Amino acid sequence: MRTARRLACALTLTAAALACHPAGADELNALIWCDHADPALLQPFEEAHGVRVNVKEYEGTGAGLAIVEQSRPGDWDVMVIDSIDVRRGVERGLFAPLPEDRLPLADLFPEVRFDEHTTVAGKRYAITEKFGYNTVGFNRTKVDPAELRSLKALLEPKYRGRLAIYDYYLPVMGMAALAVGKRTSELSADDLPAIRDVLLGMKANARLVGEVAASQTALATGEVDILVGGGEWVTAGLARENPALDFVIPDEGAVLWSQSLAMFADSPRPELALEFIRYVMSPEGQARLATSSCYWGMPANRQAALTDEEKRILRFAEQPAFLARAQPYPAPDEALDRQMQDVWTEMLQAR
Amino acid sequence: MSRLVPWLTVGPAVLWTLLFFILPLVLMAWTSLQPLQGDGPGLGNYVAFFTNPSYWRALVNSLEVTALVTVLAVLLAYPFAWVLAEQVPERWQRLALVLAILPFWTSYLVRSYSWLLVLAEQGVVNGALVGAGLLSEPLRLANTRAATVIGFVHFFVMLLTLTIFASLKQLSPSYRKAAADLGAGPLRTFVYIVLPLTLPGIMVGAFLTFVLAIGDYVTPQILGGNTELLMPQLIMLQIGRRGDFPLASALSLILMLVVTVAYLGCARWLRLERV
Amino acid sequence: MAHRLPRVVGALYAALIYGFIFLPVVVLVLFSLQATTLPVPPFTGPSLRWYDAVLSDRRLTAALGNSLLVALLSSALAVVLGFLAAWGLARFRPPGSGLWRALLTLPLMVSYLIIGMGLLILLNQLGAPRSRVSAGIGHVVINLPLCFAILYSQMGEQQARAEQAARDLGAAEWQVLLLITAPMLWPALFASFFLSVTFSWDEFIIAFLLTRFDTTLPVEIWNLLRAGLNPRTNAVGALVFLVSAVLVASIELVVLRRRRS
Repeated sequence: MRTARRLACALTLTAAALACHPAGADELNALIWCDHADPALLQPFEEAHGVRVNVKEYEGTGAGLAIVEQSRPGDWDVMVIDSIDVRRGVERGLFAPLPEDRLPLADLFPEVRFDEHTTVAGKRYAITEKFGYNTVGFNRTKVDPAELRSLKALLEPKYRGRLAIYDYYLPVMGMAALAVGKRTSELSADDLPAIRDVLLGMKANARLVGEVAASQTALATGEVDILVGGGEWVTAGLARENPALDFVIPDEGAVLWSQSLAMFADSPRPELALEFIRYVMSPEGQARLATSSCYWGMPANRQAALTDEEKRILRFAEQPAFLARAQPYPAPDEALDRQMQDVWTEMLQAR
Repeated sequence: MSRLVPWLTVGPAVLWTLLFFILPLVLMAWTSLQPLQGDGPGLGNYVAFFTNPSYWRALVNSLEVTALVTVLAVLLAYPFAWVLAEQVPERWQRLALVLAILPFWTSYLVRSYSWLLVLAEQGVVNGALVGAGLLSEPLRLANTRAATVIGFVHFFVMLLTLTIFASLKQLSPSYRKAAADLGAGPLRTFVYIVLPLTLPGIMVGAFLTFVLAIGDYVTPQILGGNTELLMPQLIMLQIGRRGDFPLASALSLILMLVVTVAYLGCARWLRLERV
Repeated sequence: MAHRLPRVVGALYAALIYGFIFLPVVVLVLFSLQATTLPVPPFTGPSLRWYDAVLSDRRLTAALGNSLLVALLSSALAVVLGFLAAWGLARFRPPGSGLWRALLTLPLMVSYLIIGMGLLILLNQLGAPRSRVSAGIGHVVINLPLCFAILYSQMGEQQARAEQAARDLGAAEWQVLLLITAPMLWPALFASFFLSVTFSWDEFIIAFLLTRFDTTLPVEIWNLLRAGLNPRTNAVGALVFLVSAVLVASIELVVLRRRRS
């Protein structure tokens, strides 16, 4: 009885202490992808500026914009967003122009500056921070890369049960478009039947359709031999543990993913928000972002302070060749986006 | 003053439920009639559900999985609860029961995740089976419907063991004594006395299993490998990817309707049982 | 011999089920001690590096605090509301009490996902922010019916007579409630509080939909799960399990000791 009372007292005290926990004097609210949640990336900034960075993860621009719409003005300071979708945010009046002279634009890989997406009417609204490829990830001990020269190979019966598909419709449908000879930037509703057939063919071979973790797991544990939509973002982080994981860019090419940082127009702390963007774009920030615990990826800044080992794993030197063969993420309008998601749902549900 | 007391005591809870449960449901019903884009309210989202096979297939999948889970969990839990109630000495029963539900207290997400580790191709189960020479090829367990079912059954065996154990213990021993005195063997006593008397307890547990399983997003999402979608996954897909609250609301109301039908079915069945 | 056979079969069966129940927990804990970054066989540990990583992860510890806060406060509120309603309905039988009872237990039939989504739509309509408070409101919604049902079933004749005696001696209603009913129902109150804390502590989908930064532990675990296969998740799970098991054991001891004394 006495113990119970003591326990109750202790619990009440804990609750009281927690309730009094100060909300933090200075904070930065960031709407991000999971790679930005890594303490190794955030802590140096927090310590240097004496602030706390609050992060909320999301996936998919639609979901991100929905979160912003459900928030109050001033709730958010910075956002990580697909480079090709920056314009969607600008059209809604969400983002503030960034001062180009305070950003290391000259150090970026020129192919990923994406000025046509990140600038509107001559003003810059976002800067590319990280990129990579949605292509074919595989286990070198189980599959000969020579067999994967064409995306069509993924439909062959001999890979039945050996595929995982990355669960995000845009890049994988972009790959399906490449497989039927379409350009990802010119997709229309008329292309969907052919894309659907490729998707259903891949599904017939697939063991699972998984998000980042599930697909990484499946490839790393040998559950599957090939990850459709995979790339350095899956294999690089696991390279030390399992060097047999690799990726290849087939003859049809690969889909280039690219994430950008933007600042909200109604941010109550624009100076701090800009400092955060400058930190992430700095050589040190870029190296930490590139090797984030959630997933690795190529830093957009060529000056990123990566070790030689990290550069080797990321295949830093081969980037110009890769970039030449990559096509951008599909950027559908809302009607086409809806149709694409319907096709994706059909693929998920197909037996 | 004293006439106000009942309203002052019941009022807050009723108000809370009206404000934070009934009102949201009403809003949801209203939302479900809105199109995502285009003109005025209508039944478009419901029509979409019944005409798009990949949508209604989710409900069929959900019903199949939930029915299988409920039956398996009852079949596994009943004998277990019976052993605990009948064969374990009285003074150890409490400990035996606490042990049986201890894994309840691992985080529910982590529990599903650890089944993924157990069932993986290189996981413990396959390792043991292949290592013992019982299998030449590892079984494909992880990321299948079977994995979802196993994850669910694991949770609900614990839950059902509790409810069935409780109804077995409430059974007065004199019934069985009477049956034995009248010459019934153990089997006949079980079939004609014990089983019918514990049936209401089983039904309550089974209904609970059905309700909790059909509405759960986490277990199929973690274990099912997205090779098929269940209703909660389809609902979350609408919220998470598309921000399509109208369709998500319509799907939710359809799911609620199914649960209500199941409840009515169960309730009638239980009442018949009492007659 | 024939007499012992059922016992042997029973024991074997129980052992099998115990094995099934404990298998994932054992695997979970074992691979939380993994030394390498993949929690699958072969076992490379034991190592405590993942526990280190978890305990020094500020976001996880903050989420732990949020979980405790939401669980304790929402459960306390659910118990108070449930207790008042159960007492009012059991003692005074106001008009339409059957209807109120049905209304108060109705949320038990609706899945958490739907309750959470409904509240999210309500928040959007009101333009209210998502926070620990909104998650707590959701947890009261799911726990109130439970507390109400438990406490209502415990409102017996014995308490009613004691309450009447107190009233006859001139006690006001609030005194009756606080000094007679609540102490007599202490075990049921404690049980419903404890049950609510358990459910709230482990609840994921409502907290996921309704919080922004001040997430609870299950939401943070979900982020971990999605962020890659990682023995850190095992370590968090093992820690949660350890803490809960100790808590359950100590409560069990308290209850047992009370019974014996």
